Parts: sequence; structure tokens; C-alpha cells
Amino acid sequence: MEDKSFKAADLWSGLALAALGVFIIMEARQWEFMGPDGPGAGFFPLGYGIAMVALSAALVIASVLRNPSRTDSAVNWRETGRVFAMWMALVVAVATLKVSGFVINFAVLTFFIVAVMYRRPPLRAAIVAAACTAGFYLVFPLALGVSLPAGMLGF
Amino acid sequence: MDIISGLLQGFAVALQPLNLFWCFVGVLLGTVVGILPGLGPPATIAMLLPLTFQMSPTSAIIMLAGIYYGAKYGGSTTSILLNVPGESASVVTCFDGYQMARKGRAGAALGIAAIASFIAGTVGVLGLMLIAPPLAKFALSFSSPEYFALMCLGLAMVVLLAGKSLVKALLAMLVGLWIAGMGIDLFSSTSRFTFGHMEMLDGVDFVVVAIGVFALGEVLGNMESREEGQMLPVPKGLRNLLPNVEELKACRFAFVNGSVIGFLIGVLPGAGSTIASFISYGVEKAVSKHPEKFGTGVPEGVAAPEGANNSETGGALVPLLTLGIPGSGTTAILLAAFVLWGLKPGPLMIQDNPTLFWGLVASMYVGNVMLLILNLPLIPLFAQILKLPVYVLYPIIFGISIVGVYSVSGSLFDVWMLAAFGLLGYLMRKLDYPAAPLILGLVLGDGMERALRQSLMMSQGDLSILVSRPISAVMLSLAVLILIAPLFRKANAWRIRMIDEQA
Amino acid sequence: MRTRIALMLMAGCAAAGASAVFAQGFQPSRPIEFVVHTGPGGGADVQARFIAAAMEKENLLPVRMQVNNKTGGGGLTAMAYLAEKKGETHVVAAFTGIWFTNPLMRAEARFTMKDLTPIVRLVLEPAMVAVKNDAPYKTLKDFIDAAKQSPGQLKQSGGSIGSRDWIVRQLLMKNTGANWAFISFPGGGERIAALLGGHVNMMVIEPQEAGEHIRAGNLRVVAQISEQRLPPFPNVPTLKEAGFDVHVPQVRGIIAPPGIPREVIAYWEGVFAKLVQTATWKKYLEDNLFADGFQRSAELNKFIDEYSETTRGILKEGGIKVVR
Repeated sequence: MEDKSFKAADLWSGLALAALGVFIIMEARQWEFMGPDGPGAGFFPLGYGIAMVALSAALVIASVLRNPSRTDSAVNWRETGRVFAMWMALVVAVATLKVSGFVINFAVLTFFIVAVMYRRPPLRAAIVAAACTAGFYLVFPLALGVSLPAGMLGF
Repeated sequence: MDIISGLLQGFAVALQPLNLFWCFVGVLLGTVVGILPGLGPPATIAMLLPLTFQMSPTSAIIMLAGIYYGAKYGGSTTSILLNVPGESASVVTCFDGYQMARKGRAGAALGIAAIASFIAGTVGVLGLMLIAPPLAKFALSFSSPEYFALMCLGLAMVVLLAGKSLVKALLAMLVGLWIAGMGIDLFSSTSRFTFGHMEMLDGVDFVVVAIGVFALGEVLGNMESREEGQMLPVPKGLRNLLPNVEELKACRFAFVNGSVIGFLIGVLPGAGSTIASFISYGVEKAVSKHPEKFGTGVPEGVAAPEGANNSETGGALVPLLTLGIPGSGTTAILLAAFVLWGLKPGPLMIQDNPTLFWGLVASMYVGNVMLLILNLPLIPLFAQILKLPVYVLYPIIFGISIVGVYSVSGSLFDVWMLAAFGLLGYLMRKLDYPAAPLILGLVLGDGMERALRQSLMMSQGDLSILVSRPISAVMLSLAVLILIAPLFRKANAWRIRMIDEQA
Repeated sequence: MRTRIALMLMAGCAAAGASAVFAQGFQPSRPIEFVVHTGPGGGADVQARFIAAAMEKENLLPVRMQVNNKTGGGGLTAMAYLAEKKGETHVVAAFTGIWFTNPLMRAEARFTMKDLTPIVRLVLEPAMVAVKNDAPYKTLKDFIDAAKQSPGQLKQSGGSIGSRDWIVRQLLMKNTGANWAFISFPGGGERIAALLGGHVNMMVIEPQEAGEHIRAGNLRVVAQISEQRLPPFPNVPTLKEAGFDVHVPQVRGIIAPPGIPREVIAYWEGVFAKLVQTATWKKYLEDNLFADGFQRSAELNKFIDEYSETTRGILKEGGIKVVR
């Protein structure tokens, strides 16, 4: 069972990369391959596009033919769910930066990490969020003059 | 001017209290700037330029140069402790530096980085002092075919960085090449892979990719489990906070390697410290007795790239001071500074301003010593950062990454790219694709394509230009050798095994 | 009788005073944002900082000017930023040649200079045609003749397609029928290194950079791309004098966001008109070897139309895709 999942990972990533390679080749063909002055814009992309297709094909074939009795480490997908939740939180934080600004979003994100991801009591989460945000505010805009992304409220 | 008398005069200038003060300000600022990802020497130097009008040009260049090489010292700190490259050149330090930290040798890694930087920085200054003019002439003979060969040499490192699966490493490198090609093509003015977005015209910033793939990828990966405890084991006791004798001994060759390679590559305009660190790391791995251990936390894996990116500063000053040719972003701003101060950068600058040149050289010696003294005692302090619980450290890493990326261009688009590359970094870890080749492809892709097309333009399509010139032929052969070296070793080991079995 | 004359005089003075008050109109009340498309230390940035300092020194503005670097896309980011500040009276930007050419070539560009409000043109930047000191070309004609004899063999190092060096090459090639290769290098340093190392035969170089290398004996200048001979180069013929009727103005000026009132444009025109009369500015032109190219907005708008048309033609002839 575990071996199958690892082979599947190789297989799917190989196919995805092969698709990327095909995309690159198609784009590269729109551009000049060899012009009067020398190689054009399409020269290099065509080269690595082809290499990508070839190598990912090799990967796909190898993963299909792999001897199932070899002990490979499996890909553990159970806990990937947590990571995707975290990543979605990050995406939301970035998406709303223009609206609520870095300071608020960072505080909320920190709270999320401490309280939800690591299941610490809400009070501690709030303290950590406040402390980290204050720290960032003190170090970056005040001490160093590096501006933090500002939202509609101006900070 | 005679070197000894020049140097003596230089020290007389550099050791003046005012210049010592500015030197200290410069290296301190540089260290801080290097620690922060995103904010780099070019922007800092530009911000301080108006202040320098109040100072004499000699004091001003002493301070600005301090920022330049100071940043290289600071860059390794976050690379080692947090896997966040503080500067693009510190990316290579992440490979083994962070792994050493995970094994509890964070202090040792920081110490080795500081010592390597000191040795290499000093060698760089020595080189600048002794062989600058003939070396500059040599650098001029470097043209596009040689640059291409150099990039090929760099890419040959992929094989060395491959780890378990060569196919996956090559695929990662190809993706890096693809990302490097995004943007406006210099020669034909076509836009490639910009997906219609104006922000993509300049391509993807290296810092964004590096921080996303390394730092965010690592944090996301660690978030899989809800284990408590500190992120990295913090060594107890002073003895464990500094490198021990064996580690220092292991780095003997790395110190030399980093210094020499960094300086030579720094002299070439446009090559850059990231390439220097990659090549020096690759060379170190190639000559090592235990190459398979690289990437798991070997001290030489920290010493070589750290040394390289420091002596590269000395090297980059060679074309700037001897020919008035800037070789990198920072030296370009220094050039603008020279013009603003009324100096005329060019081949005669050293002749016209001997005090400035020798004062600068002497101050670089002094600055390197200051940095060593500054950095070593700070190591226990920095190592305490690791005591913070993960749920405090990870938000900080997220925050630093976002602010660092935003400070480069002020564009939210870059922050989006950061999130995207964070996900990519996590997926690569999960699917067992090595990240180093991707970064390598990204760094070298642009330069390599440009050099190849320039070469073919110069020779009108004749590929033999790449091997007919001596220097590029030598480097290309070296690249081929590096590629087959592992095979030799395997063949040798197999041969020995055969002999043993027969005995 | 005298009372009537006195009354008329008073009325006249009052009217003059009143019109003076009306001409006052716009006055900036907070710091001016000065947008540039290069990073710190780049050409536009350095010039903007100089202008800001000169304004203070000569007391031409009641407020400060603050430089804001909006790099990216070869000027497109700065243009988009400016276009989004519609109606803002306290923002100006410094434009250079690429503000003309890039929108013509890039489909990703959302705005052109016509979408913004040009204010004044300030300077024309000359350039020099340089060869290595030991090259056999004593004049530009020598180089062109050699190029005609071996078409495509000689090489010029320069910037990207659409840059001034490239345009010079296109025009000269068209004018003379010669043909030589153009090799792009992204940085000025690399271009000079290529010339000094003997890997290319010729390049178009800025007078400042040229000066030092000539003094050191590495380079020789064979022609100047300028309307008149520059003071430090009295013996070098201009393109026209050398027999090539080719004009490639490289301009710099000031531009503002769209939708600003007429009186604000007039105000800025007035301020910059005063600036270019000052001794500080004249010294700046001398030090940097710029030529004065002052034009107010009406003339400048005409220039933009003409120059864009010319550039469009040159790009098309050079085989470059033009998107607008």
C-alpha cells in the first residue's frame, strides 16, 4: 500500500512536469528559434522544454516499472491537510493585505497559528500575537524605516 | 606607488578615530541589513548617500564598503538559524548551515561562517591590494564564451547536489531555468511567459523564490505534526556554542577554496556572489572524502560558500577601482557615489586618488577584524532565538518573509508569488525533489542563455567559438570532469571491491 | 483731469494686482512626490535628487520634493503608478527615452505618455561613438566602410533592442547601407568591458564614461551624437559634420498624472522654466555634458507625437513587433 502511494506521487508529478514541458514547447514555438543575428527567444525554452518532457517521461516510466519489493519511504498524506489549512490562512492574509493592512493581518495570522494550528489556549495566543505584531511594528517602520504593507486604514 | 608605503599610508588614514568610527557604523549597519531578508546593501547604500555629502569621500567610501562586506557576514545568520536566506548569496549556506543547526550545532555553524568570512574577506583585500591591475586585465579577456563555460561549470554542480535521484534534480533545475527565463528577452525584446502581467516583465525576483521555497517550504513542512518543543535543539555550554577543533580542521581546505574562488569570480563583471558560493560549494563537495554527507550538515559545506561570498566583495571592487566598471548592483551604486562626490571613476582613479584607495584597502582589513569581534560573541545571543517555541518562531518567519519580499519592490504581486513558491517548496519536500538545483537553475539560467546567445552572435552561429578559446575550453573540460568524477569514484570503489573479493 | 489719470492708473494697478493674484492660483501645500523609474543610483534617480536639491537651494518651491523609486518593466510600473494617481496635483515624474519606446513594444503596457500629462522637456543627452585605441578606425566613416566590406562581421556592444544605441545603429545602417552585428549586454560595465577586451569593435558610450578611458589611453572617440560639439571634445566631429544626417535625441523631462487642471500645468512649467535659468542648473548641464532642450508642454506634446512616430517606424524597419 505505502509503496503504491510513493509510485503514484512520482507518476503524477512526472505527468505534471511533462505537461509543463509541453506548454513550454508550445509557447517557445511562437517565438523565433534562430534569427539572422543568432539564436532567438525561442531557442533556450525549446531546449529545456524538450529536456523537461524527456526527463519527466523517464520519471513516469521508472515509477511505473519500479520493483514493488524495494523499501521506499512512503508519502504520508494524512497530515498534509494541516499544511493546506495553514497555507489557505496565509493566502487569505495576503489577499486581504490591501484591505486590512499588515499589522492586523499578521496579528490574526499569528493568533491562528498559535490557537488553531498548535492548540494553545486563546489567551496565550492573543499575547503572542500582540507581542509579535508590536515587535514587527517597532522594528520595521519605526526603527528601520521599512514600510509595512498598509491597508485601507492607513497602517 | 609602492605597496608597502601605500599600505602604511592607508593604515594611517584608516586608523584615524573618525574613520574608525565610520568603519564601525558601516559594518554594523551591514550586518543588520544582511540579517534581514530582502533589504540589501544596494538599497541601504543609496539611502545613505545624501548623508555622505557631509563627509570626506575617503570616510564615506570606508563606511559604504563596510556595509557591503558587512552584509555578507549577517546574511548567514538567518540562513543557519531559520533557513531564511538573508541575502541571495546566503542561499547556499542554508543547505548545510541549517542542517547543522538541526543537529544542535547552530553555534558552531555560525562560528564557522564568521571565521570563514574573516579569512576570505582578508584574502579578498590582499588580492585587491596585490594583484588588482593585472587581474583586471585578465578579466577583460573574459568574454561571453568564457561566461558560458563558467555557467556550465556551475550547472555541472547539479550533479553534485543531486542526492538520491538525478532525474528529479535535473527536472528541478529545468524548472529553475524556466523561471529564470520569464520576462523580457534582452536580445529580441519579446516577452516570455509573462501571462500578460506587467509585473512579470522583469521576471521573478530571486529573493522571492529563495525565501518561498526554503523558508516557507520548511515551515509548512514542519507544521505537519503538532509536536511541541523547540524547533531546534539548543546546545548547552559555551564549548558547544563554538566550533570544535575537528570541525575547524575539516574546514581547512574550504577556507582556501572559498577565498580563492570567491575572489576570482568576483573580479568578473556580472558574475555575482551567488554563483561564487555555488561553485565553491560544488568544488568542496567534489574534492571531499565524504561527498554524500554534504547537505546533511557538514562544516565545510558552510565554510566554502560563506568564504566565497565574502571574498567576492574584494574581487568585485577590482574592476570598479581599476577600470571604473561596476560588476554588480552594489558596485554600480558605489560608482554613482564616486561620481556624485566628484571623483572620476576609471582606469586612472587609483593614480589620482592614492589616499582614498589605500585608505579603503586598509579599512577593509580593519573592518574584517571588527566584524569577527562583533559576530563571535553575538553567537550565543543568536542561538537563544532557537529557544523560542515553534508557534512563536513560525509566525515570525512568515512575517519576516513577507516584509522582506515587500521591501524589495513594494509590490503585493511579489507577496503573492512568495505564497505560491512557499506551496511549491512544500510540495517539493513532500515529493522528494531537491530544492538546491531549482535555485541553481534560477541563478544561472539567465546568465547562461545570455552568454550562449552573445557568443553565437559574436561568432555568427559558429559553435566552435566555445572550445577554440583557451579559457572557455579549459572550463568546459572542468565541467565535464566534475560530471564524470562521481563515476570514477564508483568505478574505483567497485574495482577495490572486486580485488577484495578475489583476495 | 489729473484725478481721472490717477484713477485710471490706480485701476490699472488694481487690475494688474488682481491678475497677479489670479495667476498665483495653484501653490503646493504638502511635499511633492517625485516618481522615478530607476532604482537608487540610476540615471533618472540621480537627476531627480539633483532637481529636488536645486529647487531647495534656489527657493523655487514652498515645499520639499521627495523621490519615490517605482522600478520595474522598464518604466512601465512608474507609468502605471502615475496613471492611477489621476488628478493628483502633488505628484510629478521624470521621464526618459524608454517611456516612449517601451509602450510601443510591450503588449503588457497599459498606458503610454499620451495618457499622462507632459510638463516640460529638460535636457538632451549626447553620446559618443567609441572604438578601442588600437583599432584601425580613425573616423566613423572608416568604421562604416569596413562594415560595408565585411557585412555582419563587425560588432557593436549596446543595451537592449529599442535603446538609443540600437536606434543609432538602425539609423546609421539605413543611412549608409552598411551592416554590422549588435550584441546586447545588460549592464554598462559589461559593454565597456567587451569593447576594452577587444570582443566588439564599437560602442555608443556616455561622454562621462568616455572621458576617463580616453584620458587613460584605452579608447578613442570617432564621432559625437550631438547637435553641437561638446566642450571637452573640440576635435571630434558630430554625426552631421561627419556626413551622416542622423538625429537621435535622447531626452529627459518632467511628466505628471492625467487629469490635472490647466493652472497646475502652468505652475509647473513656470517653476521649471525658472530652474533652467539658474546658475546651479547651468553648472549641472556643464558637469554632466547635457544639452539644454527646454520645451514647454505644448511643444513637448508635439515632440512626443513626432518622436513616437519616428521610433515606431524605426522599430518596424528593424523587424521588431510594434503593438500600438
